[in-house]
Amino acid sequence: MSITEGKYAASMDMWPLQGKQFTRIYPFFDNLKEGRLTTTKCKDCGTLSFPPRGVICPECLSENLEWVDLPTKGTALSVTYEEVGVPIGFETPLVHAMVDLGGVLTLFSRIKDCPMGALNVGDEVKLVVFPVDPQPFDGKKGEDNVIQRVFFCFEKA
Amino acid sequence: MRNVCVIAGGQNLWGVRQATQRDMIQEAGKACFEDNPIIKNKDIDGFIVGACHTERCSFQTHLAPQAAECLGIKPVNLCCRVELLCATGSTGIIVADAMIRSGKADVVMVVGVEKLYMPQRWEIPFSELGTCDHEFDCTNGMGLPPPAFATVAQQHMKLYGTTEEQLAMVAVKNRRNGLNNKKGQMQKAITLEEAMSSRTIVRPLKLTDCCPVTDGGAAIILACEEKAKDLTDKPLVYIRGSAQGTQHQMSANFNNGVWSTWDTLRIVGEQAYKHARVTPKDINVAQTHDCFTISEIVEVEELGFCKKGEGGPFVQEGKSDFGGLVPVNTDGGLLSCGHPFGGTGIRQGIEIMHQLRGDAVKQVEGARIGLTHNLSGLISAHTVLIYGRDME
Repeated sequence: MSITEGKYAASMDMWPLQGKQFTRIYPFFDNLKEGRLTTTKCKDCGTLSFPPRGVICPECLSENLEWVDLPTKGTALSVTYEEVGVPIGFETPLVHAMVDLGGVLTLFSRIKDCPMGALNVGDEVKLVVFPVDPQPFDGKKGEDNVIQRVFFCFEKA
Repeated sequence: MRNVCVIAGGQNLWGVRQATQRDMIQEAGKACFEDNPIIKNKDIDGFIVGACHTERCSFQTHLAPQAAECLGIKPVNLCCRVELLCATGSTGIIVADAMIRSGKADVVMVVGVEKLYMPQRWEIPFSELGTCDHEFDCTNGMGLPPPAFATVAQQHMKLYGTTEEQLAMVAVKNRRNGLNNKKGQMQKAITLEEAMSSRTIVRPLKLTDCCPVTDGGAAIILACEEKAKDLTDKPLVYIRGSAQGTQHQMSANFNNGVWSTWDTLRIVGEQAYKHARVTPKDINVAQTHDCFTISEIVEVEELGFCKKGEGGPFVQEGKSDFGGLVPVNTDGGLLSCGHPFGGTGIRQGIEIMHQLRGDAVKQVEGARIGLTHNLSGLISAHTVLIYGRDME
């Protein structure tokens, strides 16, 4: 649109805001850039949360949280191939699998670069981290006012 | 506590509409007032609007005053919006019920509306990326939820032997029920063969296993029993009880990956039955959330109409059809009527109102107790209302 041409609108951005200025779970994205899938664990009651929590443990409400690594390899417990109606920005088929991360966590995740039938129940999958659109923000003149972003999904191991 | 009655209800034509959100609020409101000409807009002292994507698709917040204004309603006790995605409409009814029951308002209108079709179609699935956990599910392309319900279906088939034919039978039944529903989106019956050969969306779900994307609105008026007696000449329909609950939002926290069991619905159903002082055996007619055919199969199990795992045979043996144990989705359900998120729960309440008044398009003879159910999000929240011709 003419008045917003060249402007960044977070309301039209499907990726999460990243960077210390914008989210209290910024370590998740920093760790992801190093190829690590991490989340928060409560040091008081031991509850592992996903998604990671920026403020408190939802179980006991403690603020005493630590970042822990999750397995980056898992097993597909179920696989779906979406053949029609895939949202803009995603490939068709859009593949999802219920991924068992070594018994630590079960994630319903996208499977990247997966043609019809290529992934089956019982197959191994591994974490894949990929860059997504950078996030511009209003900053001081001369400052680097763009945050480089990443996100993750899984692919056949 | 006071008793609460449903005294009017109506909806506009649902489908791909050449109308704005505000147009559809006017259409739904008009249909509701036409259902019961004794009630005037000036009788309404509480007003609730339900809409999910009003900011996203109509760039309009603070919707309740706008909706009241365009219907000539000047509430003095309550004027607000509610939102719980697919259960938005029934959430509005629960809030209105509580307001009236407690004496905070006497006559409350709930209008539910959803405007989803945009000039370019790509925007619909894009906007839906805000409906699951935006940061962690939607980034995986999870918005409109066929992959999640396909997973439910795969697990249900593996655990209980449910078949693709049984899924298709839900679609055939609900399309047949909605055939003469002049406000519905589909209004077209299908054969089992047509359902079985429709194109795959996400295996095992085919096109006819999925409800469509819908523009639409619906409105309902509730009143305290005392006022209701003056404001309608039709049989009174009471809200006997309701319950609503959630145990997760993100996919990662849904029942350790066992998605064919919906504990939250079982718990919420039991809670609603307790409040209404009835059991599943007492339900004469039900509108359950058939966003996908597999949904209705799991719902009749968790609501206690049959044993866990027997939802497939339940539809196959005609137990959810007219003449069966509990006719389910008698107006066509979401599969036939369509599913404008704000409107669906209200449409279900209106159908139960007609069934209990005895003036439904497809009538369950002698129905005295009816149930509505919505699920919302990634099978995250469940909402159940129980209506009756009397309170005892």
